[in-house]
Amino acid sequence: MARRRACPALAMAAWLGFPAAGWAAEAPAHPVRVVSMNLCADELVLRLADREQVAAVTALADDPRGSTVAREATGLTVTRGLSEEIVALRPDLVVAGAFTTRTTVGLLKRIGFPLLELGVPNDFDGVRAQIRTVAAALGQDARGAAMVAAFDARLAEVVAAGKPLRALVMRPNAFTVAPGSLGDAILRAAGLVNVAAELGRDRFGQVPLEAAAFAEADLLILDEGEPGHPSLADALLHHPVFDALRRRGRTVSIPNRLWTCPGPQVADVVARLAAAARGRNAP
Amino acid sequence: MNARFPPRDRIERRVVGILGLLVLVLTLASVAVGYAPFDIPAAAGDLLAGRATLPALVLWELRLPRALLGGLVGFSLGLTGAAMQGYLRNPLADPGILGLSSAAALGAVLVFYGGFAASFSLALPLGGIAGAALAALALNLVAARGGTTLGLILAGVALSSLAGALTALALNLSPNPYAALEIVFWLMGSLADRSMNHVWLCLPLMAAGWALMLSTGRALDALTLGEDTAASLGFHLVSVRLRLVTGAALAVGSGVAVSGAIGFVGLVVPHLVRPLVGARPGAGLWPSGLAGAALVLAADLGVRLLATRPELKLGVVTALVGAPFLIVLLLRQRGRGA
Repeated sequence: MARRRACPALAMAAWLGFPAAGWAAEAPAHPVRVVSMNLCADELVLRLADREQVAAVTALADDPRGSTVAREATGLTVTRGLSEEIVALRPDLVVAGAFTTRTTVGLLKRIGFPLLELGVPNDFDGVRAQIRTVAAALGQDARGAAMVAAFDARLAEVVAAGKPLRALVMRPNAFTVAPGSLGDAILRAAGLVNVAAELGRDRFGQVPLEAAAFAEADLLILDEGEPGHPSLADALLHHPVFDALRRRGRTVSIPNRLWTCPGPQVADVVARLAAAARGRNAP
Repeated sequence: MNARFPPRDRIERRVVGILGLLVLVLTLASVAVGYAPFDIPAAAGDLLAGRATLPALVLWELRLPRALLGGLVGFSLGLTGAAMQGYLRNPLADPGILGLSSAAALGAVLVFYGGFAASFSLALPLGGIAGAALAALALNLVAARGGTTLGLILAGVALSSLAGALTALALNLSPNPYAALEIVFWLMGSLADRSMNHVWLCLPLMAAGWALMLSTGRALDALTLGEDTAASLGFHLVSVRLRLVTGAALAVGSGVAVSGAIGFVGLVVPHLVRPLVGARPGAGLWPSGLAGAALVLAADLGVRLLATRPELKLGVVTALVGAPFLIVLLLRQRGRGA
């Protein structure tokens, strides 16, 4: 069965002019046609690689609402992660997310493309490891080390809140930051207590509005950037209950794009949260 | 043309009384059930005393709107179903099946995602009403051309699919990444996390729609004898049609704009009350409305009490309850050789 499945893949690789077997081993030290298939991969690849190394990024990368590398991504070829798009680009390194575009990744694996799959780290060590892994795959170890060093330096500057404040993160559709996730680690690093741990959440991390209202959070963490195109998910964060919570307690606005992905920008989120918490403590 | 409320016979009055009581009990139950336990009587006390405490806020902005909208939307759907079944003399007529609800959802979607509702909040129910009105007019044209029962239903099914497809298209074209996922809300309906603003937005328009539809009770009774007879009894048929179409559009359109399209209520409820009040359409209007309110309130209690998270959409529950019931009802009618 496996052989039968491999045959079309081999035929395809041959047709494309690739030596199918052992292709990964022959890849040069510096890949020169890197294709990224995940927004979080885009962010690291665009920061660590030379621009000439990048063959394509995702269609999400140049949207300033969701991406932290929108400026760097302008003008680059974009894909939506479809197999045909990726194969046609003839990449010598594909960087994919462990949970996105699974069909394409499966095909690329069968054909034997050099592939790097990025997991979702849930602590700062995981972030450092992921930066180093991507940098090594790109042949840019020095940049990776520098990025990790800058990340640690930024974290070291952070003065955590004196008193552990209770924080509630609210994202569109009343999603929160689950305990044990990277977001939770960010809150802890800023000296905050994630009240989501006490709340009833569904298995996707959605908090009922009633539970959010009674959470007694000292700090409400929202993305209050410029309102984009309307959606019910965003409208929910302007429910009168949230408006009342905003008036009662302290709100800090952190753009969601800064902590969607593990990367050096995570240290900025820690710094902003800690500053907001200290501001709350001061009076 | 005299169609004031106190219903003529005692049975109908008793049915209305019992159903009204049921709706009241379910509304209170809906206020009592939620995701975070708190002292409701104390919160109500705070609310009445004007103290802005957190429990009072949750009661006023989450629990009450959810219960009230359940009753309001359910009443609209039940009443519209009864009025349409009476007027079209078609036991399968229902705002969901005939495409009124999906067209209302399309209107609301265009207004909301187009950004009009942000600057002018009344635009949301008005969008829903415009969609429902267009669908109702289109159906009237089909009915006026003397189509069969089946023809009308098929026209409704086509309208419903078209509106559903256009809704999906509009949501997919929206640049907001969340929009495409929200089609489930618009096509299946939900009362989760609505606010008092939604109640104020739809209540006046809905009430106007109810008044228009309820005013046609006597005319609907006369219409069971045929249009000529009804006309000879002094009923102005154009006026009856106008009141029904406008009333259905107002009630269903404003309801769907705040709750999404909840199916089956208008179809099942008139069949449920008919054995109680008899086949006279006029006598079934109030009971159908109240039974619709009870059904939606009960379904909305169900989605909160069932252990599925995220909670089920309301349309799922009304279809689960409504569809088998209707099948049984139809089989029994056929068994009787009716």
